[in-house]
Amino acid sequence: MAPSRAHNCVRILRYATTRPLRSPSIASIPRRTAPQAAARGFSAQQPKQHEPAKSSVDPTEVSHFNNLASSWWDPQGPSRLLHLMNPLRHTFISRCLSAPAGTPLPSKLRYLDIGCGGGIFAESAARLPKTASVTAIDPTPEVLKVAELHQRRDPLLKQPGRLTYLNKSIEQLPIPTSAEEQYDIVSLFEVLEHVNAPGPFLTQILPHVKPGGWLVLSTIARTWTSWAVTNVMAEDVLRMVPKGTHDWNKYVNEAELRDWFRKQAGWGGVGDGMKTLGVMYVPGFGWKEVPGGEGWGNYFFAVRRDA
Amino acid sequence: MPPRLPVIAHWACPSTPATRVSIFSFRRCASSSATSPEIYDVVCVGGGPAGLSLLTGLRNSPITSGLKVALIDGQDLQKSRLPKDASLGSFSNRCSSLTPASVRNLQEIGAWKHANASRIQPYQEMQVWDGVSDARISFDWDTARPLLTPRKPSQPTTIAYMIENVNTTSALLGRLEELGGVATFSSTKVESIELGKDAEDLDLSSWPILTLSNGKTLAARLLVGADGANSPVRSFAGIESRGWDYGRHGVVASLKLEGPGRGGAEHKIAYQRFLPTGPIAMLPLPGNMSTLVWSTTPERAAKLKSLSPNDFIAMVNAGFRLSTADLEYLHSIPSGQAEEIAWRGKHTPINEAQIPTNVVEVQAGTVANFPLKMRHADTYTGERVALVGDAAHTIHPLAGQGLNQGQGDAAALVKTIEHAVTTGQDIGSLLALEQYNSDRYAENNAMLGVVDKLHRLYAVESGPIVGLRSLGLRAVDAMGPLKGFFMNRAAGGA
Repeated sequence: MAPSRAHNCVRILRYATTRPLRSPSIASIPRRTAPQAAARGFSAQQPKQHEPAKSSVDPTEVSHFNNLASSWWDPQGPSRLLHLMNPLRHTFISRCLSAPAGTPLPSKLRYLDIGCGGGIFAESAARLPKTASVTAIDPTPEVLKVAELHQRRDPLLKQPGRLTYLNKSIEQLPIPTSAEEQYDIVSLFEVLEHVNAPGPFLTQILPHVKPGGWLVLSTIARTWTSWAVTNVMAEDVLRMVPKGTHDWNKYVNEAELRDWFRKQAGWGGVGDGMKTLGVMYVPGFGWKEVPGGEGWGNYFFAVRRDA
Repeated sequence: MPPRLPVIAHWACPSTPATRVSIFSFRRCASSSATSPEIYDVVCVGGGPAGLSLLTGLRNSPITSGLKVALIDGQDLQKSRLPKDASLGSFSNRCSSLTPASVRNLQEIGAWKHANASRIQPYQEMQVWDGVSDARISFDWDTARPLLTPRKPSQPTTIAYMIENVNTTSALLGRLEELGGVATFSSTKVESIELGKDAEDLDLSSWPILTLSNGKTLAARLLVGADGANSPVRSFAGIESRGWDYGRHGVVASLKLEGPGRGGAEHKIAYQRFLPTGPIAMLPLPGNMSTLVWSTTPERAAKLKSLSPNDFIAMVNAGFRLSTADLEYLHSIPSGQAEEIAWRGKHTPINEAQIPTNVVEVQAGTVANFPLKMRHADTYTGERVALVGDAAHTIHPLAGQGLNQGQGDAAALVKTIEHAVTTGQDIGSLLALEQYNSDRYAENNAMLGVVDKLHRLYAVESGPIVGLRSLGLRAVDAMGPLKGFFMNRAAGGA
C-alpha cells in the first residue's frame, strides 16, 4: 500500500488506550480485525458491560498519558497532529455560530470541554475575545496536571474564571438546573470513539447544552479506509500516532449520529441545526477540509439544541 | 529549540525579579515599581520600516487591534520623520525602490496616504547593461506583454516607486499616531533580555523579559526582532545568521541631473550598469534629482568619497560611459578626474539615448558608503521570538529588494498573528509562528540566492562567461513574455 494514498486521514490521540501490542510489521496486517459493514447499534441498546453510573470511559482503556505528559505541548511531539487540527475546530465552531435561524447567543460564550486532555482546545477557546469562560473536564489526573501546569505559562489564562480545569468525568458534573448553568458550546473532541456506549454517553451530555447552544464533536467514521489509515498506517507503519491509540470497533459513523439526534426531541430541528465537516490530514499541507469526508474518515459534527 | 543566550548590554539590575508578577498586580502598581514586568502581547524592538510596518498592520487589523503592543527604539523616532517643510531640491541619500506589492500593503494598512507624495517618484522603464560587453536589456511593461497582444489600458505602467526611507518611516509613524494604542519607548535602549522565572502561580520561564534603559521591564508574549543586521533579539534567541561579506562597499549620493530624464517627467527611467567591481545604478527622484548606488571595492569607495564635488560628478558620469580600463585608471590618479574624463569622453563613442543624462551637481554631505553583506538567519522564529527585515536577512542592494523583503515579512507576520488570534492560539508559540517562517523563508532565500549569483556573474571581467551572460541578457530582452515574468517577480507578484 503506497503511503501517499493511505495516510490521507489520520486518527489522532485523544483518549489513548493501551491495548495488547501489535506487531508493526506489514505481515501482521491481514490478521487484524477486518472491517465489518454492520452498524454500531449505539443508541438502540446499551452494551452489557456499560455502567453509566461509574464512568463512560472504557475501564479497559488504561491511560498511558504518563508517558505523554511531558511531550503533550511539544509542537514536534506525538500530539503534533492534534495541535495542527485545533484551528479547524474553531473554524467549524464559527460556522455553526453563524448558521441561519439560530437564537442569538450572548456576546460572551460559555464553553464546556469534555475530555480536555492537555488543554489544547480549552486553552485556545479561553483565549478568544468572545469567550466568557471555559470549563474543561477530564477523568485522567495525570493529563489534567499537564493542562494545569501549562495554563500557568499564560497570564491571560490565569485570569479568574477564564479557564477552569476539573478532574471529573461528565457523570460527576452536576446536572444544570437553570440556563445560566448551561453552556453555549459543549465540545467533545476525539472522545466519542473511545467510549463503549456512545448513546448513553451522549445522553448524559445533552442537559449541559443551553437552548440555542451547540454540541460540537469530532470523531472518525468506521470504514475500511479509516481502519487502514488509522490503525495500520498511522500507528504501525508511519508511527505518527502513539501505538494503541485506536480501537477501530469503537468508531462512530456520521449517519449513525444524525439518526440518533433525529430521534432526540428538541435537537437540530430548527434551521440548519446539524452540521458536518469532513477533514483529512495531508502531509506537507496540514489538515484540509474534504467535502464528503465524513463518509470515510475524520469529521466534525455539530448539533444545535432547539431554543 | 536553540539555546537562549542572555543579551547583556549594560547590566542595570542583574537579578531582574521578573517573576512575581501577575497580570493583575501590574495593573495595580504599574508605575510604582520597576520589579514587575508589564505584560505585552507583542514587543517590537526596532522602529525601522519593517518593525513599523508590522505594528501598523497589527493596529490596523480589527482582529489584532486588541493586542497590547509596544515599540522600543534606541534612536529618537522623531528623527525618522520627514520635516513638513522639506524642500524638493534636496533628498536623503537613503532611498529604496518600493515594489507595487509593498506599496499595495502600505495602502492596505492605511500608511501610504501619510507619505509625502511629491517626494515619491514612480518609474516606468529600466535599462540594464553589461559594462564589459555592452549587452543590454530594457524593462517596461509595454515591451513585456505577450506577442501580438494589444496593450491593455488597465495594465500597470509603473515598475516601482523611488522613495526616501525617511518618507516611508514617516508615513508609517503618521499612520501609527492616527491609530494610537502603541506603547512607544523612543530613545530607549534595551539593556538586557532574559527569560522570566517560574513562580508559584505564574510560569514565565518561556517569556522574554526586557529591561530598558529607563528602568522599565516588559514581558513579551511575542518578541519581534526588527533590530537590524546585528539583531540583539536574534542573539537572545540563539539563532545563527550565516553569509559572507562581498568585499564591496555601496557608495550613495543625492544628485542633480541636467534635466528630468530622457523620457521626461512622465516616463522616468532607472539605469544600472554592471561593472566588474559591482553595479552602478542611477535611480530617478522627482524633478531633476536622482539617487546613486554604486557598488565597488572599499578602496575605490574611499577614493570616490575623497574627491572634490567636481571630480566626483565627473566620475559618476564616467561610470555610465567609459570603459572598465578607463575607469581603473581614473581611480588611480589623485585628482583632476574632471579634465581627464572630458578629454576621454571625446574619444569614446557613446549612445547618449541609452544612458542617464549628465550629473551637474552633487548635494552637499550626501556622499556616503557602507559595506555590502549577504546574511540569512537559520530560522525566523523561536519560542516567543520572530525576526523581520534585516534581523532576518541582509541582501546585496543590486536588485533593490532589501526594504521590500522587510515589508513582505511584516505583512506575512501580521497575517500569521491574525490567524493565531482568530483560532485562540498563543501568538508566541512556535506552532502559531510556523506559518510565518514557511511563508517567508523560502521566498527570501530564493531572492538572496538570485541576487548573490547575479553579483558573482557580473564580477567576471573576461572570458567565455562574459559572452554567455551577454547572450542570455540579449535573449531575455528579445522575449517579451519571459521579460514579463521577471518583471512580475521583481514587482513582488507571483
